[in-house]
Amino acid sequence: MRRALLIAQAELALMVRSRVALIGLIALLLLSTIAAATSHTHMAQERLSRIANQTQTDALFEAQPARHPHRMVHYGSYVYRPIGALAGFDPGIDPFSGTTLYLEGHRQNSATISAVRESSSLMRFGQLTPAFVLQTLAPLLLIFLGFSMITRERTRGSLGLLLSSGVTETDLILGKILALCAVGLIALSPALIALVSMVLATPSEAMAAALIGLGYGLYLLIWIVGIVAASAFAQSGQAALLGLVCIWCFVAIVAPRGAAEIATRAEPLNSRAATDLNIQAELRRLGDSHNPNDPFFATFKARTLAQYGVTKVEDLPFNFRGAVSAEGEALTSRLFDKHLAEVAASQRLQSYIVSAMSVLSPAIAVRHVSMAGAGTDLETHLRFVQQSEAHRFQMVQYLNGLHRNKLSLEDDAARSKDRLAEQRTRIGADNWAQVPDFRFKPTSASERLQSAISPIIILLAWLAGVVVLARWSRRSLGRSAR
Amino acid sequence: MKHLFGEIAFLFRQQASVWAIALLACLASLSVGLGLQDISRQKAAIADVIALQHKDTAAVKVFAKEAGDAAYYRFHPTWDLPSPLAFAALGQRDIAPSILRIRALALEGQIHENEAHNPELALPGRLDFAFVLIYLAPLVLIVLFYDLWSGEREAGRLASLQAIPKARLRVWLPRIAARFILVSAVLVLAFWVGALISGAGLGETIAFTALILALLGFWTLVATLIARGAGSSPTNAAVLASIWFVITLIAPAGSNLVINAMTPIPDGATIMRENREAVHDAWDLDRDATLQRFYKLYPEFATSPPMQRPFEWKWYHAFQHLGDQQVEALSRAYRAGIAKRDARAGLVALALPPIAVQRALHRLARTDMAAQAAYQDRIRAYHTQLRTYYYPYLFTAKPFTPAAFDAAPKFEGP
Repeated sequence: MRRALLIAQAELALMVRSRVALIGLIALLLLSTIAAATSHTHMAQERLSRIANQTQTDALFEAQPARHPHRMVHYGSYVYRPIGALAGFDPGIDPFSGTTLYLEGHRQNSATISAVRESSSLMRFGQLTPAFVLQTLAPLLLIFLGFSMITRERTRGSLGLLLSSGVTETDLILGKILALCAVGLIALSPALIALVSMVLATPSEAMAAALIGLGYGLYLLIWIVGIVAASAFAQSGQAALLGLVCIWCFVAIVAPRGAAEIATRAEPLNSRAATDLNIQAELRRLGDSHNPNDPFFATFKARTLAQYGVTKVEDLPFNFRGAVSAEGEALTSRLFDKHLAEVAASQRLQSYIVSAMSVLSPAIAVRHVSMAGAGTDLETHLRFVQQSEAHRFQMVQYLNGLHRNKLSLEDDAARSKDRLAEQRTRIGADNWAQVPDFRFKPTSASERLQSAISPIIILLAWLAGVVVLARWSRRSLGRSAR
Repeated sequence: MKHLFGEIAFLFRQQASVWAIALLACLASLSVGLGLQDISRQKAAIADVIALQHKDTAAVKVFAKEAGDAAYYRFHPTWDLPSPLAFAALGQRDIAPSILRIRALALEGQIHENEAHNPELALPGRLDFAFVLIYLAPLVLIVLFYDLWSGEREAGRLASLQAIPKARLRVWLPRIAARFILVSAVLVLAFWVGALISGAGLGETIAFTALILALLGFWTLVATLIARGAGSSPTNAAVLASIWFVITLIAPAGSNLVINAMTPIPDGATIMRENREAVHDAWDLDRDATLQRFYKLYPEFATSPPMQRPFEWKWYHAFQHLGDQQVEALSRAYRAGIAKRDARAGLVALALPPIAVQRALHRLARTDMAAQAAYQDRIRAYHTQLRTYYYPYLFTAKPFTPAAFDAAPKFEGP
């Protein structure tokens, strides 16, 4: 072990003397710092803007004048997907998915307003965030600094000298790995500092941050061990470099795209317009509120009359029109829930397929750990959409309840023709404040841990794989030294 | 010429080059195949929705006896068909809807609607031909070029090669040309097959081909300049990979950050919300005043009789349009802001040839931000056509017959 440390020390001293290595490392640190600072400020601004939007929307809702409750059903409300404390580290899907959802009666809208549609196409080249720097950039720097660590000893002939002086192959490999680890740690530091400062501001996120740190630590370690093993196997420096750059290109650039292409084809999604139209068609089959003789609403009417032992709706102790609205909303909402669950299941399956591809690329695995930890993964978005839909239904049914209980059927029926009846169907503004505010429940710390477990296991398997490779490479060292 | 063929034949005997070119050929064909499949899917999805919409419209027609009902309940499909070249450069087509159904109601609440895509799949980007060209082809060129001089030097042959009379013309030019031609041939052939299948026009195919060659020419130039230097083979490889990395990954990401910070745009969510406020406030405002505001814009309907009942469709549809009017300035500023960001990205492209080529490819394939904006403009124009089609039925005694229902304007693609 002591010999390994000495080798690591010598290697680091060499790197410090070589200007290229130093410049590369400084460039990475600079970039990493810029990425951490800008991404953090940007997401913090975005967070504030969404909170402000939500506050304003809720205030507007409560400030609405006396109205017919069904007007409020159509007035509706907006919800804005909140941003977690760690999103600055890895914005994940946030810029690629709609952030604003309009909630109204009878309709389920799509989440809209996303950064990707508000930016130039440059955004599709990648975003400068700590996650991007660590997933894509740091491995390339490690390759540049590490590819020749052993090939250099071999071509200069110092390899045989070292091995005959009592240094074992294990010492040599371990020493080089330690040296590269030191570099990796330096490369990781700005991102880690950013992560720690985010945790200091929001201590409840400590576990998620630790998870992210663990993920990236494993990921960089896989690269480090792999690079040293490749350097030991390769016959020349340029062979090691070329091979490693090709592997990097596949792992960090091609595989994530390829995985997405496979997932879109394995589990194709319907267009939103087609889904909407299918829901409409299904709705017409189930019950058509525009048709006075519709069997669904006729049955509802007969059932309600029988329940209250009366023969006509005018004798019911409440406004039957409000009850019909509530019944219709429950019907549409069941369909919305069903289709939303189908879409969510398809999207989860797509993500699962992408996850499975991480056996080909640890970059996919670390991305999943990172997004799950930062609360910026697909799951967070799906939850936002599903919770918003639940909130929409609750809000609309509350208003339909007011419609049913606070209005007279006679006025309600005459309101389009009779000005006074129209005035009487308006109920007090104090009712609007009773609608509960939307409170988004993001994935909890333990849920994030759960969804990060399988990618972390895959990362560990990768690490085990490269360690085996490194142990195996010792033999080629001994052979070439003799 | 003889030297060139000799050089190409020689390249085929080198394992690394054969592998690199074979891999590029596979990925290029794969990307073309995937792109063609995507395009045919998008077309099928559009046809699908148009067919479904016919049934939906027929169902609406049964109960929509008044013009106001039809204008309220009826959805009208609009679509953005992929251009013949879209298969090669998918651009923004994976995130923006290619079908949007609209009603003759306030448009600002409808036009921002999103497609039901999985954001996690949009995050890494697509594996289309443009990706293979911009990202991967340069790396293959780097592999073929980095040790062109240094390899000979390290093998001790450089001096004797340089001693050959007209070495430039007889040794180096054929070597450079052979590499450039091979890589170009692989990419151009894959692209031509795709262009032929999707029925692209000759002019645009030539322009696209020229862009492919320009990009490969740029990287050939860069690679030659570095490879001719005094660096060792590994140094050259590392320098070239760094240049590629900075140009294709760091510079665009950094520029995007700077551009977005420099070019603030109005909050999109605010536009939608203010549109809603303007529309819904009308229920509590004086109805005649609302109509008068509308008649200022459409004086031809000012003779319409005053409202008799608390609810009339003409008033409803009037305030829908007034709601759009109220946020028009904001909406224009929003679109202008996005366009400005895109224009600034164009300035960045002046300094970075690969970005310039990428943008030009997307422009040719009509999959860029400008094409998205153009589709939105077509939707806006069509929406105006729709509204104004219904107005005479709403504001005058013109009877809304079933034939009038059927005669509503239809969206026409580009």
